[in-house]
Amino acid sequence: MASDEPVAVGEWHPPNTSRSISADLREDGDGLSVIADGAICAAASETGVEISPRVGSIPRRLTFPDGSVFETADNDGVDAWLRRHRGARSGLIHGLEAFRPRLFVFVVAVILFAFAIYRYAVPALVEVAVFATPPFVPEMIGSGALASLDRTVLEPSQLPEDEKQAISDGFARLAVASEGGPTAYKLNFRDGGSIGPNAFALPDGNLILTDDLVKLADGDREMILGVLGHEIAHVERKHSLRQIYRVAGVTAMILLIAGDVGSGLEDMLTQGGAILALSYSRAAETEADRRSVEIMRAAGYEPTALVRFFDRIEAVSGKRGDVSFLSTHPDTPERRADVLSYARELESGAPAR
Amino acid sequence: MALVDTPPASADSFSRASFTGSASEYFGIWIVNVLLTILTLGIYSAWAKVRRKRYFYGNTVLLGRTFEYHAKGLQIFIGRVIVIVALIAINILSIIHPLFALATWLVIVIGLPWIIKRSLRFNARVTSYRNVRFDFVGSTGGAFVAVTLGGIVAFLSIGVLAPLASRWLWRYILNNLRYGDRSFSSEPRLGALYRIWLLPFLLFVLGGMIVGVIIAAALEMERGGREDIGGFAFFMVFLPYVVVLIYGLAVLVYRTGVRNVVLSAALLDGRHELLSDIPRLRYAWIAASNILVTVLTLGLMRPWAAVRMARFTNEHTGIRINGDPGEVMSQIEASGSAISAEYVDMEGFDFGF
Repeated sequence: MASDEPVAVGEWHPPNTSRSISADLREDGDGLSVIADGAICAAASETGVEISPRVGSIPRRLTFPDGSVFETADNDGVDAWLRRHRGARSGLIHGLEAFRPRLFVFVVAVILFAFAIYRYAVPALVEVAVFATPPFVPEMIGSGALASLDRTVLEPSQLPEDEKQAISDGFARLAVASEGGPTAYKLNFRDGGSIGPNAFALPDGNLILTDDLVKLADGDREMILGVLGHEIAHVERKHSLRQIYRVAGVTAMILLIAGDVGSGLEDMLTQGGAILALSYSRAAETEADRRSVEIMRAAGYEPTALVRFFDRIEAVSGKRGDVSFLSTHPDTPERRADVLSYARELESGAPAR
Repeated sequence: MALVDTPPASADSFSRASFTGSASEYFGIWIVNVLLTILTLGIYSAWAKVRRKRYFYGNTVLLGRTFEYHAKGLQIFIGRVIVIVALIAINILSIIHPLFALATWLVIVIGLPWIIKRSLRFNARVTSYRNVRFDFVGSTGGAFVAVTLGGIVAFLSIGVLAPLASRWLWRYILNNLRYGDRSFSSEPRLGALYRIWLLPFLLFVLGGMIVGVIIAAALEMERGGREDIGGFAFFMVFLPYVVVLIYGLAVLVYRTGVRNVVLSAALLDGRHELLSDIPRLRYAWIAASNILVTVLTLGLMRPWAAVRMARFTNEHTGIRINGDPGEVMSQIEASGSAISAEYVDMEGFDFGF
């Protein structure tokens, strides 16, 4: 039964052409038909016509089975017909999007969700990923990194053999005291060149100690061992693998949620993600410092020998205090204080945090 | 019955596009997109993209009619899943062994022209105006010259030959773009491209000089004594941001200038003239202030910024229909049907220029 009032007024296009004529959309029994100048241009049953979902107030397209298209700006008329024939569920998303006070609740929900994802979901996913990573992955990362470092920046060590032997002996005692045991770690001596006094750990358990660090120690081998204990802790806790997954997770979260942020801003946000990851890296350094105290203590060395490294590095670089928030390592005075208080805690038998 | 409903455009004036969307209306669409994306763990983002695109296309009005975006959420979703899986695989492989990174990089560089061609074609084919779809008929070889070769030429000449590369790129894009059975063509003059190139190139040189001065000053400070080492570190931390800011501005100004030149030199169907007259510095100001406002409001003003930018660019884009407008439109109508084949690839990734 066709009612007198048209469902909507708009334009009708024959199939695949830009030509259009003004036409009315009318209810035709259960279906719809397009009528121009009293003649039926197109008709379809209720399910035969494809109606584009409503977005804001952009024109609606109704595609008929013959390929012709009826276009109308009268969204409300089309919606009223849809509600009568397809129930209240049609236009659900558009209903949510209407500019109402309810949107404020959505804003709060989005902020809470984003925070929860960053704080809980990403770390949980990182743990799952670390757990699921087969052991050959860190091995391959480590051997690949060592090989390319050797080709580019590192040179063979110039240290005398007895010096190397003495450090290696001490290192073996540390390895026994650590979780992995003596077979899990290998100490490599290298001339670091421009890297300067440094030591670093690769995820497969290869540790690299530069000649400059040994020279900086000036015979204080216990101090070197304190630094090596710190590096062993990085391997034990799989810090580099965690860092890789964390950067990936935060970047994915930003790209996914932000979606439409504009290209310039997207770059800035992913940079911001990297800065957030740095704060994790500072937490990892603190954890490694504390673990160094434990390992040194278990191996029968002075637990706070690492502090002497901080003192020396500070004396040489002349740098005091202020380290910017962009740094990967925490503030040196802060680290020193933390190591000393943690060592005292262990001595007094207080439970380790 | 009117065969043509185009408002008559006088022979000497351009009909400008407009944007009819509003920030408050888009805010609802945007926040619901973000919320549902989070709640569905990212899956909804593909459907969110369709709603976003349809909102912007559907509010872009030219000669009284709007554009329409036809991609389906599922299509975009499948495309995204494939891209994400491939990216994860590439990342894992390149972490495992540096050689994989090199190999995949090579594959991507060689495959890039093909990807760009497909992406341009997808975006053209899911766009329609007055019930007629756009199409893109460029070849992979053309994309190789326009993008890969052009990029190399612009890079190796430190930007001096950038206008030449831009000319290749835009001739490839526009001369292969079709509107139904009508083709676009553009022969931008190299002289015009060099005129708009001058300002961004001066910015580029200025940026280089600022960086040079800062580095020289920092080196001087270091030589003079280590007291100011903190200041030096401060400069080095912020140097990348200064560089990004100046080069970002130069790129923005250059791209806008190129858009103005190539679109204003373009014709549809050999006679209808296109127009782009975006004021470059105001464009840069709007882009920069948009980013600032978005960041300061933690993203909540992003909808406002997006609508503001769309309105600004649309109002500086237009077309002049030469000849009897009725005749033009009815000619399109006559043979437009065969070309608008309803065939779209399952390819959801963006390659925006």
